[in-house]
Amino acid sequence: MKTTLNILWKDVLIEWRTRSRTVALLSFAYTILLLFAFAIGPDSAALRQHAGAYLWLGLLLSSTLLLDSSMRIEFEAGAISKLLLAPVSAPGLFYGKAIANTIQLWIIGAVSVPMVFVVCDATVVESSGWLALTLALGAAGLAAPGTLYSAMIARLSGKQLLLPLMLFPLVVPVIVSAVKATSLVMMGDPMNQIGSWLALLLCFNLVYWGLCGVLFGRVVEA
Amino acid sequence: MKANWEIGVGLFGLILLIWAHYTGLFVAPPEAMMGDVGRILYAHVPTAWVGLSTYLVAFIAAVGAIWSGKWAWDAMVEASVEVGLLLNALLLIQGSLWAKPTWGVYWTWDPRLTTCAIMVVAFGVVLALRRQIEEPMRRLTMSSIATIIAFVNVPIVYLSVKWWRTLHQPYSSPETVDSAMVTPLRVAAFGMLFLATGFVVRRWRQVHRQLKAEVQAPDLPDAPSPLAVED
Amino acid sequence: MTGMIQGGWEFVWAVYGITWAGLFFYALHLFRSERDQ
Repeated sequence: MKTTLNILWKDVLIEWRTRSRTVALLSFAYTILLLFAFAIGPDSAALRQHAGAYLWLGLLLSSTLLLDSSMRIEFEAGAISKLLLAPVSAPGLFYGKAIANTIQLWIIGAVSVPMVFVVCDATVVESSGWLALTLALGAAGLAAPGTLYSAMIARLSGKQLLLPLMLFPLVVPVIVSAVKATSLVMMGDPMNQIGSWLALLLCFNLVYWGLCGVLFGRVVEA
Repeated sequence: MKANWEIGVGLFGLILLIWAHYTGLFVAPPEAMMGDVGRILYAHVPTAWVGLSTYLVAFIAAVGAIWSGKWAWDAMVEASVEVGLLLNALLLIQGSLWAKPTWGVYWTWDPRLTTCAIMVVAFGVVLALRRQIEEPMRRLTMSSIATIIAFVNVPIVYLSVKWWRTLHQPYSSPETVDSAMVTPLRVAAFGMLFLATGFVVRRWRQVHRQLKAEVQAPDLPDAPSPLAVED
Repeated sequence: MTGMIQGGWEFVWAVYGITWAGLFFYALHLFRSERDQ
């Protein structure tokens, strides 16, 4: 637990000092959004209808950059092996990194939401509390397996091509649920389905935060 | 080629499958709704059952590999993921070809077909990892982890796609099978199972041999002859 | 559903053909790599 907080604090501090990565990721998310808008064309109905999809695809693409960069810090100059020699528990390290990644994704998401509202002319029909919850659970769902796999990729000396490929199958339930929930919040939810989607997101998170924490030790000790 | 038990099992499976497919194609009646197209059943359903079972074997082997660190388990991960991928790819093609005459389109976001497509990537990644990593122990660990996660993911993906789909439009697929069709179906399933077992075990032997050779220490040089004592 | 689908044998042949081809080529690959070992 203490390890987790320490690692988390370290990552937050590192990022706070320069904020360069956050700025880069926000610019990237913004660019993706604009590209989607241009690709769809001036069809305002289509943009409004699929605003949720663009939000989450932007977040997903940003996350691959984030995850890679975040884990690379740990492996530079063999830092991680020294970290583990000190009595730093591997699960503690995992949860610290994963929570830091989640927070970073929340920040990108929080800034992306108003961007999406403007670019797609979208509004919130249902309560925005649902939107906040969706963002929280979706980001966490991307961060947990992402952190595990980014550590695996970092060990393979820079095979970045594999990371999106490895994440893709895991990310489908998150994207499907998050986009559905977001779209329902933005377009109205006459049949009260948001709850079911959030429940699926919650289940996914419970399974993967648990599983990845357990497996992380094996990934970094090898 | 050594004649081990799996050759016999595989051949037996082959015979069963040939009988079952012959019967299914030419003897069994056409399906009530799908007509002759329904005969695809005898190829598609066994592939699905055995494919999923093979992935289950891969999952168990991956857990065993991480637990024990033994090469035998690691070899089983590779063998079963490989055969599982073969069946998975076949399943995808069969499903798509079945969809065209029955639903009118080759692809339709049906939960099962979609999950199938995603599984190919998830388990393909396991093999890709195995090709990339040269250090044997690291290869064992990483590919086992990827296998465990891929397998755990299957029900979650299936559920999420199913909900996603049924909220749009309900889809129908044949759930009950006519009694005249049960026998060739069952025989085909066993045939496929035995054939796949033959494949997996055979492949396991090959991989196991390779892994053992990889980690074996090189032969020691011959002992030097004792120094001759100068007289 | 307006009744039993008629025909469609080309799909049946395609499915069986591809399935058996897949199994056959995998078996071939298996025994070929064995010979090379």
